[in-house]
Amino acid sequence: MSILTAEQKQIQAEATAFVAKEIIPFASKFDQSGEFHPYLLDAARESRIFAMAVPKAFGGLEYSALTQAVVLEAWGYGCAGMGTTLAASVLSMDSVLVAGTDAQKKQFFEPMVRGEIGSFGLTEPSAGSDAGNGKSTAVRVGDEYVLNGSKCWITNGGYSSVFVIYALTDPAAGMKGISAFIVEKGTPGFTIGTVDHKLGIRSSNTVELLFKDVHIPAANLLGKEGEGMKIAMKTLDMARPAIASLSLGLAQRALDECVKHLQQLYPEKAQPGQTLQFKLADMKIEIEAARQLLHHTMNLRDAGLPYSAESAMTKTNASDTAMKITTQAVQLMGSYGYTSGIAKLMRDAKIMQIYEGTNQIQRLVISRAVLAPARPAVAVQKGGN
Amino acid sequence: MSILLTEEQELIGQSARDFAKEYLDPIVVDMDHTGQYPAAVVKALAEHDFLGLFLQGEYGGAEAGYVSLVEAIENLARSSAAVASIVINHSLAAYAIQRWGAASQKKDYLPALAAGSTLGGFAVFEHGPTPGVGASALQATRVPEGWALKGTKAYVRNAGVAGLYVVLACTDPAAGAKSLAAFIVSAKASGLTVGPLAETMGLKGCPVADLVFDNVILAESALLGGIADGNAIVTETLALASVAEAAQTVGIGQAAVEHAAAYAKTRVQFGRPIASLQAIQTLLAEVATDCHLARLGLRVAAQLLDQGEPFQVEAAMVKQFLARFGSKLLIDTVQVEGGFGYSEFMPLPRLFRDIAGTTLLEAPADYPEKTIAAALLA
Amino acid sequence: MPKILVCYKWVLNEQDIKIRPEDLSLDASRAKGKISDFDRNAIEEATLIVEQQGGTVDALSYGTPAVRQSIKDVLSRGPNRLLWIGDPKAEEADALVIAKVLAAAIRKSDPYDLILCGEGSSDMFYQQIPARLAALLELPCLTFVARMTLEGRTLMAQRKPGDCTEMVSVTGPAVVSVLSEINKPRIPSLKQVLGAAKKPSEEIALDSLGLAAGDLTPKAVRKSPKGFLMNRKNVVFKESDAAANVAKLVASLKAEGLH
Repeated sequence: MSILTAEQKQIQAEATAFVAKEIIPFASKFDQSGEFHPYLLDAARESRIFAMAVPKAFGGLEYSALTQAVVLEAWGYGCAGMGTTLAASVLSMDSVLVAGTDAQKKQFFEPMVRGEIGSFGLTEPSAGSDAGNGKSTAVRVGDEYVLNGSKCWITNGGYSSVFVIYALTDPAAGMKGISAFIVEKGTPGFTIGTVDHKLGIRSSNTVELLFKDVHIPAANLLGKEGEGMKIAMKTLDMARPAIASLSLGLAQRALDECVKHLQQLYPEKAQPGQTLQFKLADMKIEIEAARQLLHHTMNLRDAGLPYSAESAMTKTNASDTAMKITTQAVQLMGSYGYTSGIAKLMRDAKIMQIYEGTNQIQRLVISRAVLAPARPAVAVQKGGN
Repeated sequence: MSILLTEEQELIGQSARDFAKEYLDPIVVDMDHTGQYPAAVVKALAEHDFLGLFLQGEYGGAEAGYVSLVEAIENLARSSAAVASIVINHSLAAYAIQRWGAASQKKDYLPALAAGSTLGGFAVFEHGPTPGVGASALQATRVPEGWALKGTKAYVRNAGVAGLYVVLACTDPAAGAKSLAAFIVSAKASGLTVGPLAETMGLKGCPVADLVFDNVILAESALLGGIADGNAIVTETLALASVAEAAQTVGIGQAAVEHAAAYAKTRVQFGRPIASLQAIQTLLAEVATDCHLARLGLRVAAQLLDQGEPFQVEAAMVKQFLARFGSKLLIDTVQVEGGFGYSEFMPLPRLFRDIAGTTLLEAPADYPEKTIAAALLA
Repeated sequence: MPKILVCYKWVLNEQDIKIRPEDLSLDASRAKGKISDFDRNAIEEATLIVEQQGGTVDALSYGTPAVRQSIKDVLSRGPNRLLWIGDPKAEEADALVIAKVLAAAIRKSDPYDLILCGEGSSDMFYQQIPARLAALLELPCLTFVARMTLEGRTLMAQRKPGDCTEMVSVTGPAVVSVLSEINKPRIPSLKQVLGAAKKPSEEIALDSLGLAAGDLTPKAVRKSPKGFLMNRKNVVFKESDAAANVAKLVASLKAEGLH
């Protein structure tokens, strides 16, 4: 367990209660149907949890990074699909936090304070791990940009009010020619394409976005032309720990269910034999270690210190841990695990290793940090990473 | 002992592969969506002698041995793990009766099992505390006609489509594990009902359900083996299950690594096929290696079976190995395919869901370690 | 009860052969053997006839010593007996040589009522063996057979040589080559696979056939097989106007010689 302030503990308790009431009872149903969960936005509206990262000046909760992680872990514990809805919405607004003017922040944050959600639109069929290889274009025409192209695997797409879309303002410049834009739902020419059916996080809405001659005000450009990838990378640094949080919730849930089940199977003895006891102990160690790496990363961010490598590390570590532990839980619970909600945990866990930068991309980021020449102590203090 | 296959075993594997391509490939996606039991395919399996593979010739079996069994299972599983499950669970019932059956029982039941006109099931697990650890929920009490069975068996594969079940029951609650006995029960037995089908994560098409025994009366002749043989029967038959399911796991893994390798050659990112990236190569190499080693391990166990030698330790070893590395075969191949690997419009998610069902550790979940350690430390 | 002979070839599985991009040479090091595709249809057809009418099926092949690998595979598919000649000289043999060897072997047996072949082999597809065999044995030859029935000594066959269909009948022994559409070869059951080991197979030594060195020397010599790689032209028509793209595409195709 981490050392939380009284206020954080209160927020954690509220999140846990919310999840127990509004998420856990319905997770299975939405997983089976694969339908999105608009009811959850209604249930969360009053708490403004979808605006948990929005600054107070704009009506949000302005939770610290650590507090956000605690909330997301609770949501991941209840349902990683529904947790993804929240995490992806926060991801979208992180771009605006990084590069938006006050007017843009107002434009983007107000819907979230109202309980609506957003989407981050970077990925394209030709731009998965090669995120800078997108082909969508944004041509400046007068005081507008005209967008053409498509995005795929965009979370929340079918239900978001606001989007951050990345497109080429200068195709000849390749990655350095990408810019970021705010796009609002319902803009003419902007439509939702196919809905993906997924192995897990099935109630999370994953769609194609289609842009055909979509006119947006030039004022919707975030930062300057050509700064798109820089904004995207900073956004992902901020957002990756959210996946770690969801992963932790998944892993913790798997362990708790496993313990419950084994205790039921061995009622006459105090506990199962050492082999199984130690498997549980190992799961506990891995979860706690992952939690501490996540919380350390969040503390770094809250303290204004560099945390890019830690961000990649915690995303990788927590998601790998979640995959391992949910897999083991299904196994240890045998046919019960295979025919119950436990199987959903394993299906949900798999995406954590893939989205918001595959764990292979994360390892590239981390290995660069590992292999970089040693820096003198001064530079470290100044935050040179 | 050679772990290389004989020519026959290779040909049997090849026949199974050809059969799978012709009969299984066309139905796998739909069967996964609907969960419908593939009756026509099972009939074709029977016609090709897959259901009597290791049964003796005098009962209509092919007498092809257990290495042939695992070769067939792997090759069937490469197309459909669900169909492989049907064959495996049928084989468990057939094995138990051939191994422990009295001459009359073998004559009565094996020909239909070999011909596939009767499908078999093996009912051993329960919802509550484990047989041997606590009181078994299924009780068998002596009555004038023979035996009366009362209680429930859980997660029985082939439930509802099988014509007979080999059922593990407790004849004396006070005597713990020593009181387990096995019975041959006809699916038509009065008082026997099949519960609702379980919603499985994968392997859809192989039905899984509870069997409810409401005072099912069996003749004395339904007892399989001796009154105290139940534990030995279930232990050895589940050891065969470990070997057969390992072949299933390897088949799924093989299909996955081939699909992921083909995908990696065509998916271009960073200006090159991702197959040229060491990150991808490492993932695929590890999967291929684990698959290969598991295959060899299970083949050794199958060869011991063919030679009539004890095989349970080797079976436990491959079970334990795959408990650690089985699902990893799909965790890593899905990873190679990234977002596409997570989309149910592609085949790997089905394989991911299937493979998790082949490495389950039923209670007691520490049985592989116990078995291996007991042999080492005897 | 007809006595049928099927001639088959054991070939490399072309799916296992890789083309080296540098010089288009073939890498067959990982290629496994298989029964040539149309020969499978011939074996199946013979088996079907005998299943219906009784009789026997012999299988015969001339190839390198690797042909030994084919024995159980072939016998699991219906033939009662397998005769094979395995000699390294087969590697260089042309269609005339192969036909002479097969004819010599056939003459050593009691006469067959029907000799079946595939229309051509999966590797070379010369389509010459059936006709040459028929000429050497002085038998009628029916090629491109898509359907056939055998009643007593009369064979009725539907030929599909290309753009027409003809019905032919022949009485007495004949050499017939079949197309793949004639049947769908069944997958051997496991008992059939295991039963193959119990069926007789006989190796015939090449030098026991009484052929001169000249008979065994090919007149047509294969120099070097090369692979064929179809490369994409990688031309993209990217005008904003669809009609302009189509016009450009048509012009490009015409320049390539398509009309």
